[in-house]
Amino acid sequence: MLGVLVKRVVNRVYQVVLRPTLACPVSTRGYKGEASDDSRGDLIEIPLPPWTEKDGETMDMKRRRLLFQSRKRGMLENCILLSLFAKKYLNTMSETQLRQYDRLINEPSNDWDIYYWATEAQPVPNVYAGEIMDLLKEFTKNKDQEQRLDAPNLEYLDKGSQ
Amino acid sequence: MMAGVSRILIRRLSSSQSLPPSVRCCSRNFHFNINGKRDDAKVSNDISQYPVVDHHFDAVVVGAGGAGLRAAFGLSEAGFNTACVTKLFPTRSHTVAAQGGINAALGNMEADDWRWHFYDTVKGSDWLGDQDAIHYMTEQAPASVVELENFGMPFSRTEDGKIYQRAFGGQSLKFGKGGQAHRCCCVADRTGHSLLHTLYGRSLRFDTSYFVEYFALDLLMEDGECKGVIAFCMEDGSIHRFRSKNTVIATGGYGRTYFSCTSAHTSTGDGNAMVTRAGLPCQDLEFVQFHPTGIYGAGCLITEGCRGEGGILINSEGERFMERYAPNAKDLASRDVVSRSMTIEIREGRGCGPEKDHVYLQLHHLPPQQLAVRLPGISETAMIFAGVEVTKEPIPVLPTVHYNMGGVPTNYKGQVITHVGGEDKVVPGLYACGEAACASVHGANRLGANSLLDLVVFGRACALTIAETGTPGEKLSPLKPNAGEESVANLDKIRFAEGTIRTSEIRLNMQKTMQNHAAVFRTGDLLKEGCDKMDAIYQSMEDIKTFDRGIVWNTDLVESLELQNLMLNAVQTIHSAEARKESRGAHAREDYQDRMDELDYAKPLAGQEKKSFDQHWRKHTLSTVDIKTGKVTLGYRPVIDRSLDQEECSAIPPAIRSY
Repeated sequence: MLGVLVKRVVNRVYQVVLRPTLACPVSTRGYKGEASDDSRGDLIEIPLPPWTEKDGETMDMKRRRLLFQSRKRGMLENCILLSLFAKKYLNTMSETQLRQYDRLINEPSNDWDIYYWATEAQPVPNVYAGEIMDLLKEFTKNKDQEQRLDAPNLEYLDKGSQ
Repeated sequence: MMAGVSRILIRRLSSSQSLPPSVRCCSRNFHFNINGKRDDAKVSNDISQYPVVDHHFDAVVVGAGGAGLRAAFGLSEAGFNTACVTKLFPTRSHTVAAQGGINAALGNMEADDWRWHFYDTVKGSDWLGDQDAIHYMTEQAPASVVELENFGMPFSRTEDGKIYQRAFGGQSLKFGKGGQAHRCCCVADRTGHSLLHTLYGRSLRFDTSYFVEYFALDLLMEDGECKGVIAFCMEDGSIHRFRSKNTVIATGGYGRTYFSCTSAHTSTGDGNAMVTRAGLPCQDLEFVQFHPTGIYGAGCLITEGCRGEGGILINSEGERFMERYAPNAKDLASRDVVSRSMTIEIREGRGCGPEKDHVYLQLHHLPPQQLAVRLPGISETAMIFAGVEVTKEPIPVLPTVHYNMGGVPTNYKGQVITHVGGEDKVVPGLYACGEAACASVHGANRLGANSLLDLVVFGRACALTIAETGTPGEKLSPLKPNAGEESVANLDKIRFAEGTIRTSEIRLNMQKTMQNHAAVFRTGDLLKEGCDKMDAIYQSMEDIKTFDRGIVWNTDLVESLELQNLMLNAVQTIHSAEARKESRGAHAREDYQDRMDELDYAKPLAGQEKKSFDQHWRKHTLSTVDIKTGKVTLGYRPVIDRSLDQEECSAIPPAIRSY
């Protein structure tokens, strides 16, 4: 009973805190904030099992797994962005960076969130802030004006003989 | 170095056969434990040297998108020991991309009736939809939305606390005579994500077993009955046979057969291909929906919700050209009508940009606040992929492949059917739902926001039908010990393929051919040429070259298997399109511009003689492929024109379709 009460109070506080004040100016990039009509009730009431790091994986296996998980995303925007990012950085990431990247692309349940953080439409939660997030944000800006029409083919990994 | 590691892993797996199952499972703890269940899987060595693990379940669902999760949840809730096999983590299924919403005649914005929604869907399908399935879907819609709300989906609300409903293309009131209907319910801009999160979370409470990052290879068929699925675990390269009396296919669409599409790189038609390899037909694959507003270049989708909120399409002369093509619905006409209109404008020289090869979607006349709150993701997508500031400039857009109306043919209960001796016949043990299935509720063209509805209604229907026709804990019929051998042999062949043409090259050839020969506007010569090219590309798969020989996390292998699946979808699509000599819904032909029904509905019906079945085209295409030669064989089955209950809801007789 007390648990239910506490939950209700927490929900209410959550909703009040996250409701955007309409007086806020809208940035030129269309800052999303929390849409006023999204109570996030499903995320609060139905928590999913927490993500945990995989044990006993060599760095090579981690890279191979993260390659698959970068290329196969929920929507095209992330498929293109993350597979291009993986092509540029995955094979030279240190162990710490690999673990940061693993958490970034595997823990969030809504693929769109990763996209909004990378495009700076939404602020990055503290748990994901760090080297890799900064690299991703910089990469997304596309200062070199690369053509980003599609995800790259895999053959850049083919070093001739395995 | 990679090969060395994988060799060690395989050796470890096969040498562990003498260990008891509980110890062996420890190295793969996370699969069998993290989501609650440990089943008593046994390791055998029946198929070649790949260790095979056999599982027994009451039901297996392939795919964990909206439809798969709804089916798995429904089955688990009904007490069936259910496995869900998916190549992606459930909340990363392509359903997460859905930002539009779910249609349901709740009547919150104005008086509404599900029979009007029924009419809109039948008309939207250009009378190729099966009216019993459409009746079922539209009647169940309000209850389904309320049910989802009860599960915990936080639908956006109006100021009086009712579920907010917005306008969407093709939705009208009073059988098309009462103006635009507002039927689309949404959860802010993350309806798809909320659906996945809610269903996945709830299904875990009922002990559903998830096998995540397992790639389903084939159905296990014996004597025309489906006895389960064989899959391979990407994490450790082991083969798994999921034996069950009930298999549900919910693997989504196959947009990736085309060069430009709005789909993620996961939409590879795996379910359709599994069904084709099992010798069963696929239905209506020629009906590919082109979404009017994909970003020119990358193909990323700009949701129809933009037009629902007031966005308009303009040509190089700044004209709102949809007023000419669809005087009533204008920019919210059905998607195929809008796509064709855009293509005509471009071909007649009123396209925009230096090559005059696209049109513009204008949003900057809308208040920035409305854009930010109702359509936030648009700004980012437009900036990153088109370099456009939506509050100032229009977005360059082009009709882009978006949805596959066709798929695995089912009846309205979700059971997979074949057509034998002029009758529909159920395939025992096999079900399908979602984009992978063809019930057919969308017929020749799907209305926006009807797809998420399709997922939940038919995902639930599959679960209900299975619960009606079976009981949990039923004993399984025996299966040949070497069942699934060919699938493993194929996997092995692709893994060590040493041809001369790379996977990416063959894939590009296929995508470009489909894009050039089977796009929005089709014509006989172009289609025929495309068929010949596709046949040759199919043959070139024999010469495929892969480079990664490992068995663990081998993305090259997975993408090559996906290419095999795409190939089967592509050849059936283009051959079906070439054979269909009429224009209907999303299938538009320049050489046959009219619909060819059994009667000419443009003229008074009195005195007309009905055409025989082989002389008209108001029928479903059924296609099969001879896997070895790539030869496509076509057959046809009639459209179901009766609703489930004529008293409750009269079927809509065909008419000319205008908006």
